[in-house]
Amino acid sequence: MAVQPYSPTIDRVRDMPQSRRLKRHTLQRYLVAYLFILPVLLLYVIFVLRPTVQTFWLAFYEWNGISVDREWVGLANFQRLLTDPIFWQAFQHSVIWAVIVVTFNLIVGLVAAALLASSIRGRLIFRLGYFLPVVQASIVTAMIWRWIYAPIGVLNTGLDAIGLGFLARGWLGDFTVVLPALAIASSWMTFGLSVVILLAGMQGIDPTLYDAARVDGAGPTRMFLDITIPSLRNTITIVILLALVDAFKVFDIIWATTEGGPIRSTEVLSTYLFKEGFQQNQYGYGSAIAVALSLIILVSSILNLAIRERGDD
Amino acid sequence: MKSGTSISTMRCATGLTRRGILRGGAGLGLGAALSSRAGIQRSVAQDASPANITIWLGGEPGTVNATTEILDRFMQENPDITIETTFVGSSLFNPTLVPALNAGEGPDIWMGGSGPGQPQAIIQAGHALDLTPYYCSLGWNEIIPEEIVGYTSSDGKLWAIGDSVETTLMFYNSAIFAENGLEIPQTWADLMAACDTLEAAGFANPIGLGGADKYPISWWQSLLWGRYAGPDGVNDVMFGDGSWNSEPFIQATAKLKEMNDAGCFGANPLAELQDDIEARFWRGDIPMIFSGPWIIGPGIDAVGDDIVNFGVFQVPPPVDGEPIYPSADIGTGWYINAATEHPDEAADVLNFMLFNEDSRRLMLESGDNVPVGPLNLEGVDLPQIVQDVFALSNEYRDNGTIHAFLDTVTPASMTDVSYDGLQAVLAGQMTPEQFTETVQQSWEAAKAEGEILVPGGVTCQ
Repeated sequence: MAVQPYSPTIDRVRDMPQSRRLKRHTLQRYLVAYLFILPVLLLYVIFVLRPTVQTFWLAFYEWNGISVDREWVGLANFQRLLTDPIFWQAFQHSVIWAVIVVTFNLIVGLVAAALLASSIRGRLIFRLGYFLPVVQASIVTAMIWRWIYAPIGVLNTGLDAIGLGFLARGWLGDFTVVLPALAIASSWMTFGLSVVILLAGMQGIDPTLYDAARVDGAGPTRMFLDITIPSLRNTITIVILLALVDAFKVFDIIWATTEGGPIRSTEVLSTYLFKEGFQQNQYGYGSAIAVALSLIILVSSILNLAIRERGDD
Repeated sequence: MKSGTSISTMRCATGLTRRGILRGGAGLGLGAALSSRAGIQRSVAQDASPANITIWLGGEPGTVNATTEILDRFMQENPDITIETTFVGSSLFNPTLVPALNAGEGPDIWMGGSGPGQPQAIIQAGHALDLTPYYCSLGWNEIIPEEIVGYTSSDGKLWAIGDSVETTLMFYNSAIFAENGLEIPQTWADLMAACDTLEAAGFANPIGLGGADKYPISWWQSLLWGRYAGPDGVNDVMFGDGSWNSEPFIQATAKLKEMNDAGCFGANPLAELQDDIEARFWRGDIPMIFSGPWIIGPGIDAVGDDIVNFGVFQVPPPVDGEPIYPSADIGTGWYINAATEHPDEAADVLNFMLFNEDSRRLMLESGDNVPVGPLNLEGVDLPQIVQDVFALSNEYRDNGTIHAFLDTVTPASMTDVSYDGLQAVLAGQMTPEQFTETVQQSWEAAKAEGEILVPGGVTCQ
């Protein structure tokens, strides 16, 4: 018979009432979990939460970002936002951008995911192809699209080759088309992720639903609209949310191609924020734009969730 | 090459008068004088204790490579000093430098702008070291032209060393010109005729202009505004009571629009990026490009010995009979961090990098950079096109010089308005009158806030 070694701790635990033992056990379990979370939490607080709070705080100051003195101006920066035509122009562009990006991600993403969910030949290659732009550095994507949209670039050459040369133009210099042109380029960069999420959602749908529909004589379109789409409600919400956040905070592709031009036709909130904050050294006003941008993303996300909840009811 | 026209900077006291800086552009020494350099001391650091110096720099590849080589040489000669360089791209410089300085983590030395705006704010915040003691004791005052000191000093203190002088000219493909029976344009009508001929010959962009990048249009703005108003006209606005919406500036803007409408810049210059334009120029797809000597280095890399097929000329006066004013502006400024633990060693590094004879020669040979002050060209291996740049700048310098980059000497808010406005003018969305009016409004607002350039000056005791 094995001899139990003497352990005062074990003895103390054994003597405890059961509820206290349970409490301590739970505490120990959570303590371990908290210890695991702690490093990441610290990083989050230092590098995300603190700067975010600081940005909100800075929005109430006039500050050039360098000098020791900051002037408290209360809500003046926000008042200026309301009357700043460039801010509203940038806001309008951000909304247009978001609509294009979300629509592209959703519709093209759904179609691509549906095709990949079927037994199409070379599925793996397509999956890789769609996802490649997601993992690619955005500056590389921007360079690629710069070449595509250049006056003697791939797009214009292609249009010429198929007899549609009359549509050729300097895409990045034409202020009537440059915003949607870049939004499509940006969508190309992000829609691979939507395809993966939607595909995962589709693969989770009970196949017997399709079997039953087939027995009832439903075709592929009918099954897609009546089974796939309703079953993907939650997945679609996630895709919209991610695309929306991505769309509102877009910066790199615009900065690397047009820097908000020509004539501010691709100025969005994030590029305007950067210019005011870091180029004009108006950190207070730049922070106010950042706060506005955060609120816009928050409100649109809540709206999206609320609409979905209402649909569920 | 003319050496007699280069300015002499052998002086000790450089107290600047307001009129002095009004004539500032005229004095920016693009001269290629053969001069000896007396009075430059080797170093100020007394002890040989180990020091680590960090440097943040930007600029064209040629300049960066030359700088790196110079710093390597410095470390070989000064084994106790270790230098760490970090290349920071221009658009990221401000967002990176400012927080670093505020956090006390900035570099010991950095290369930055020298105009109004952020540099002023950095100085006012006490981040830049007063370089006046080094300026006087190391003999920099014998090298740096007082006009450049005027741009990088205030309150009688030198805050940065203006390291180079930059100019803008028209570069052209002489082979294409010859094939199409074209000579170097002597008049504005010749230039426009060249545009027509080249367009008819199938060149979609007779003159390359990367309008999507905005700043290249500003080079044209600087040239034409300077040519129409003259150096005094521009300076009257910069430092006097003149205004940007007066007739010469309206006419100059209209001229730019006229060139665009005539197809000189192609169907839509706003769709063009300057990097692509430069690449196509060296490939022979674009016959002319208005730019600066910094494109020569990459050009030699691109075409090698065929660089002889490329030449340079001064843009003819837009109004017949008017003089040619060459453009010139200060390059970048070099600052020392006020919080550095090794100010003397940092000053020694700058002294070696910017004023050592071999370093200056190396920088000159990089093709991207013309060091300030008199240059000793003896034994310097310069391509013909670089020599032509010097010759052209010297040839007309007595007429007075105009700003090459108005966007670097005017407040950031005005630059922003100008960039967008120039695109709007080319796109026909804004008239020259509306554009100049917008610029003037921005200028007045900046002036009221005290954000415009003020003449500086330093006196050595």
